Amino acid sequence: MKLHLQNITKEFGPVVALDDVSFSAEAPEFICLLGPSGCGKTTLLRLIAGLSMPDRGQLRLDGEDLTRIPARDRGFGIVFQAYSLFPNMTVAQNIGYGLKIRGRPTAEIKERVGQLLDLIRLPHLADRYPYQLSGGQQQRVALARAVAVDPKLLLLDEPLSALDAKVRTELRAEIRELQQRLGILTIMVTHDQEEALLLADRVVCMQHGKIAQVGTPGELYATPVNRFVADFMGVSNLMEQSTIRQWASHLLNGHTPPADYIACIRPEDITLRPGATGARVRQVHFLGNLSRIELDWPGGKLVAEEAGRTSLVPGAEVGIDIAPHRCAWVAPQ
Amino acid sequence: MSATAAPAWRELDIDKLFLGFCLFVPLTALTIFFAYPLLTVVTRSLTEADGGIGIGNYIRILNAPSFWRATVNSLVMSLSTTAAVLMCGLVVAYAVHRCKVPGRALLLGAVSLPLLAPSLVQGLGLIFLLGRNGIVTKTTGLDINIYGFWGLLIANGLYALPQAVLIIGAALRAADARIYEAAEILGTSGFRKFVDITLPNIKFGLLSAGFIVFTVTITDFGNAATIGGDYAILATEIYNQVVGQMNFNLGAVVGILLLLPTILSFYLERVASQRQFGSVSDSAVPLVPTFTPKRDVPMTLAAWLVALLPVVTVAIVIYGSFVWLWPYRFDLTLKHYAVKVAGGYDPLWTTVQISIVAGVIGSLMLFALGFSLQRLPRHIVKPIYFLCLLPAAVPGLVLGLAYIFAFNVPGLPVYALYGTATLLAICNVTHYWTQGFLTTMTGLRQVPPTLEESAACLGASLPRLVRDVIVPSMAPTLVSVFFFMFMRSMVTLSAVIFLITASVSVASVSIMRLDEAGFTSQAAAYATCTMGIVVVASVLMRACLWALKRKQ
Ligand SMILES: Nc1ncnc2c1ncn2[C@@H]1O[C@H](COP(=O)(O)OP(=O)(O)OP(=O)(O)O)[C@@H](O)[C@H]1O
Ligand SMILES: [Mg+2]
Repeated sequence: MKLHLQNITKEFGPVVALDDVSFSAEAPEFICLLGPSGCGKTTLLRLIAGLSMPDRGQLRLDGEDLTRIPARDRGFGIVFQAYSLFPNMTVAQNIGYGLKIRGRPTAEIKERVGQLLDLIRLPHLADRYPYQLSGGQQQRVALARAVAVDPKLLLLDEPLSALDAKVRTELRAEIRELQQRLGILTIMVTHDQEEALLLADRVVCMQHGKIAQVGTPGELYATPVNRFVADFMGVSNLMEQSTIRQWASHLLNGHTPPADYIACIRPEDITLRPGATGARVRQVHFLGNLSRIELDWPGGKLVAEEAGRTSLVPGAEVGIDIAPHRCAWVAPQ
Repeated sequence: MSATAAPAWRELDIDKLFLGFCLFVPLTALTIFFAYPLLTVVTRSLTEADGGIGIGNYIRILNAPSFWRATVNSLVMSLSTTAAVLMCGLVVAYAVHRCKVPGRALLLGAVSLPLLAPSLVQGLGLIFLLGRNGIVTKTTGLDINIYGFWGLLIANGLYALPQAVLIIGAALRAADARIYEAAEILGTSGFRKFVDITLPNIKFGLLSAGFIVFTVTITDFGNAATIGGDYAILATEIYNQVVGQMNFNLGAVVGILLLLPTILSFYLERVASQRQFGSVSDSAVPLVPTFTPKRDVPMTLAAWLVALLPVVTVAIVIYGSFVWLWPYRFDLTLKHYAVKVAGGYDPLWTTVQISIVAGVIGSLMLFALGFSLQRLPRHIVKPIYFLCLLPAAVPGLVLGLAYIFAFNVPGLPVYALYGTATLLAICNVTHYWTQGFLTTMTGLRQVPPTLEESAACLGASLPRLVRDVIVPSMAPTLVSVFFFMFMRSMVTLSAVIFLITASVSVASVSIMRLDEAGFTSQAAAYATCTMGIVVVASVLMRACLWALKRKQ
């Protein structure tokens, strides 16, 4: 099962929601569409689902052109952020609805619904109505309903963002488990980079309706292509080349980045040597499993991280070490 | 790929056909039963006595002193009613929503009573109280003449009050407590808060209510017929031209001229209501009034005083229907229920049938139209939306007249409908189309789009989507629209008055005939029966809504 998007463009009046988007994905991949609010993630997901049509471009599944086929004939599973269970149907009826539409025999539907209820661990709630369920339970049911018809593609639009932190973590793991068990190509929209790092085989990072970078979470984190991706994928120290040349010129050894590229150094890649000199501790934030240390450095401010508690206190002098291979060179935009 | 594309296209066709059907049927109906008849009023108003086209009718009407008297009377009466109703409405709404008064629900119920009754009931009630044989007139010996301006003012005021309370109440409910708390901290007095914060905040709500009251009053016919006396207004002028002098074309002219203020008023109402209710902030903190004796005691008294009037008028009509000989012999009797009017109670049963048909047709048509409008591009939706707002601006009498022109034409296929109960039902649906339309659209907007999209992704076609998802989740709206159409059809008079025949008549016409013939007690009996049915319908509606709510 291979999905192929080619030069997809979608405009809403003057707003270009998607600008020449192309990428491919193949089962059993888990893809996360990641980006800030308004960057076009939902628009892209709806296009893939067939809920709206692109202005230009093509969508293919296993070579077959899907572009003009409406949602109901694509048969993809979809889960929205909230409020998408049919309020007038019980949990079991909700899950079995897709099969009922396909005219499957009642016995088969019943069996399949039973299996899925076991899978989402809610067999005791089969006859409840959606309003009698918690948010997390509702999303589990929505997930079961989406996969009940063996969709070729599972689409999730921020399915977790209406839930509280604990339920979110639980359900996150369950989604991943379900996806892997079914081996189904899954595309999930999120604006939470942690979620993307945790779940995705590959992340599609979007910016202003364009794809900024596609890659594994590791690639996006370690070698972002530009400032936007670097910023979006966690905390980073971004420094002009001139600063590096002056204060940490060894980072340029063996590298000749284009002149306007900037250095991106992740905080955990900065090693602090207490007792040495070179930078001064400005502030220490204790975040539980790690400590974040803000430093005054001749080239500007730096952020470093150490595991657990640190012995450093504000005002202390420290030396800093950065391994050249830990420094990524990224485009300024 | 062609293997999968072929069924895809067939599916698509079902959806398109369904959507087209949902749009085409109500739109055609609206064209045949609203736009076309209205157009005939225009052409008839321009058709002169010799059959030629010209503005002779207009000149004749504009030169007639009687027309100007009626116009001035209409305007004076409507403006005074509007002012009075706004004041009373503000008192009641403010008491209910911003003060701590006992029996709020009861208060609202009391004010809403006239909605359950034919508009003639207010007139009848006033006659029982203040008429020549009214109980007040007789006991005090005063020489009160209720027929005329004052009677009309009170009757129309009672009739329009519930709508004003509803709109002003909605505006008052949209308050944000934080603003008042901020003012409190600044040391603002209660009265200053009212003048500086409350009034500016609800001013568009007040305007909106004002225009509605004005429209309702200037177009009302039932009250004018019972209690207007010699006080001629435009609505009675149309009726006299048509029924009295058989001068249809001149009636059309007056109708067109009456349309001008109502359309203007209705347009301004839409503008005002959008300004008032267009942007309600989600984060507003609702205002919970605390007991303030200095404010709440007088407000309670004032509000109940206002609410007493509709209760008394309705109650006295019911009581009067059981009294042997008003106001001389107060023994109770059922003799007035043996009504001496053509057809007896047949018109009442006809009305029930008409109302059921109107409810069914109305809710189905409005649902189909609303459903298809939601799926059409904006530039198509806008003109249709506008067309759907128009019926509210057309006075019932003008609509009735339009139906005569359009359908009482032997030879046209639609002539078959003329004089049937079906046409009366259709006329009622058209007459109350706008309110039903706005309710339906609100209901449709409350169905989350993700629900439909989920169903679409699961493979549901549009007809299936409607059956399995949309109708169940907006059933309360459909029920409300059905009962709204039903109840309005039970009590309306103005549009249908022109369309009844010897064999097909409605309850409110019977009431009017009985009253005209001097059988006031029998008119009261007939009105009481009609109200009984409407009350039953309203209880049924509440039961349905309650049952539906429990299921969701
Ligand atoms: N139906 C629409 N009509 C007009 N503009 C739209 C429509 N849908 C989306 N847009 C615009 O397209 C852009 C992309 O919207 P989209 O919903 O895809 O963003 P998103 O990445 O999903 O954001 P969020 O994280 O807030 O959900 C936005 O500028 C939005 O305003
Ligand atoms: Mg979105």
